Amino acid sequence: MKIFLVSFFLIFSLNASVYQKNCVSCHKKLPIKIDKFFYRYLLKYSSAIETKYAMKLYLQNPKKENSILNPALLKRFGVKKRTTLSQKELEKAIDEYWDRYKIFGKLK
Amino acid sequence: MSVLKNWDINLRSSEKKTLLSFFILYIFFTIIVLLLMAIFYFNTQKDLMLKDKRLEFSKYANDEIKKLKYLHVNFDKVPRIYPRDKRFKSAIYDSIYTKIFSLLDSNKVDLNEDIYLQNGNIFYIKELESYYLGAKYVVIEIKDDNLWKNRVYHTLLVYGGIILFVMLLMGYFLLYLLLRPMREAIALLDRFIKDTTHELNTPISTILSNIELSQKSNTDERLQKRLDRIKIGAKTISNLYQDLIFLTLSDKIESRKEDVNLKELLSQRVEYFSLSIESKKISIEQNLKDGVTLHVDKNRLTKLLDNLLSNAIKYNKIKGKIEVVLEDRYFYIKDNGRGIEKDKLEQIFKRYERADKSVGGFGIGLSIVSKIALEEGLKIEIDSVFKKFTSVKVSW
Repeated sequence: MKIFLVSFFLIFSLNASVYQKNCVSCHKKLPIKIDKFFYRYLLKYSSAIETKYAMKLYLQNPKKENSILNPALLKRFGVKKRTTLSQKELEKAIDEYWDRYKIFGKLK
Repeated sequence: MSVLKNWDINLRSSEKKTLLSFFILYIFFTIIVLLLMAIFYFNTQKDLMLKDKRLEFSKYANDEIKKLKYLHVNFDKVPRIYPRDKRFKSAIYDSIYTKIFSLLDSNKVDLNEDIYLQNGNIFYIKELESYYLGAKYVVIEIKDDNLWKNRVYHTLLVYGGIILFVMLLMGYFLLYLLLRPMREAIALLDRFIKDTTHELNTPISTILSNIELSQKSNTDERLQKRLDRIKIGAKTISNLYQDLIFLTLSDKIESRKEDVNLKELLSQRVEYFSLSIESKKISIEQNLKDGVTLHVDKNRLTKLLDNLLSNAIKYNKIKGKIEVVLEDRYFYIKDNGRGIEKDKLEQIFKRYERADKSVGGFGIGLSIVSKIALEEGLKIEIDSVFKKFTSVKVSW
């Protein structure tokens, strides 16, 4: 049974997406859920193109000026480190993030 | 001014036609101007109505935004049901005009507008400051109650009708003013003809009766020939006098219809012109069927025949030929004279119109023929080849 569980975890880890491995894993440790960041971005950028572009810009070059966090949260959590992901990986992760939390098709 | 009071002159048909065309054109342009004014008024009223509604719609949009904000903040906690309102229908669009969610009847919304009317619905578009649920635009749609439209139509109908009536009245007076000099000119001409005609009667009768008396008492052949020539001239003036009398007084003379023996009348009229025919050495060929009668005014038919025969002689050449043929349903008079040019054929029935000005005349002969034919129910057909022949057929 132990062997089975370890094997399953290993297989799952190997199949986990860039978003899961590089974004969710870190955000899990924060008191603010990852979706809250998404809705903050949406509030400021509206469309898919603009939101994704803003996210990419921030993750590649994180600064206080281009962060969507308010000053209090910035003081508490600080500015994150620059991403180590390649451009392609980053875009893939952002796309998944968008698809997971986008509003389109979710309203009734 | 005394001439103007004498209104028994009718305008010529072409003049009537011109005036009618002018009046139709005037009405047409008046209606066009009124339509343009109506469109302008309609659009102004529509804009005013939208301006009035804007405040109300803006309040609805703010209510909707509040609900969107609540849903945005609690998106993971409350059911994801788009906020609905009984007073209006709404939709949300993102910054690149992609529809996020819509309850609208219409799929096509112009997000660049502020407020507008389309297909009976009023649309109001509000841009959000914070894009709740990613929405940059909130669209509010309400069915137009058409109250303003009914009010506008009513106003347009009443005022448009009044303006049209005033414009028509003005057009009528304008036409009257335009007509005045023309009527004056025609009245003067007709008055002159009437006066001249009246003065011609006595001398012509005296000349004709004295010629006949002289011919009876004189046996000198040379003098007889001279008297014949004077007689032809006097008869020509007499015919002209009769024509003018007919033109100016025909409306006042009642038509007296009777059965007329056409062979008899045609022979009689040919005989009446015999001196003129002889003087031009014209040969006349009569082919008249017996027993053909026509129920018409004899005097008028005589006038018609005299004019046709007079023309056949006048426009014929020396040693020419005239053919007079009578059949059951028609008769015709054909001459081999100078003929009429094709482009002038349509004009020849007009008063004072003359196809050939090389010989004397006023151009009233065929106008009389046409008038009599119309009144007596006869059909006139003219066939002519320039420099060859002219044939006038009268059928019934």
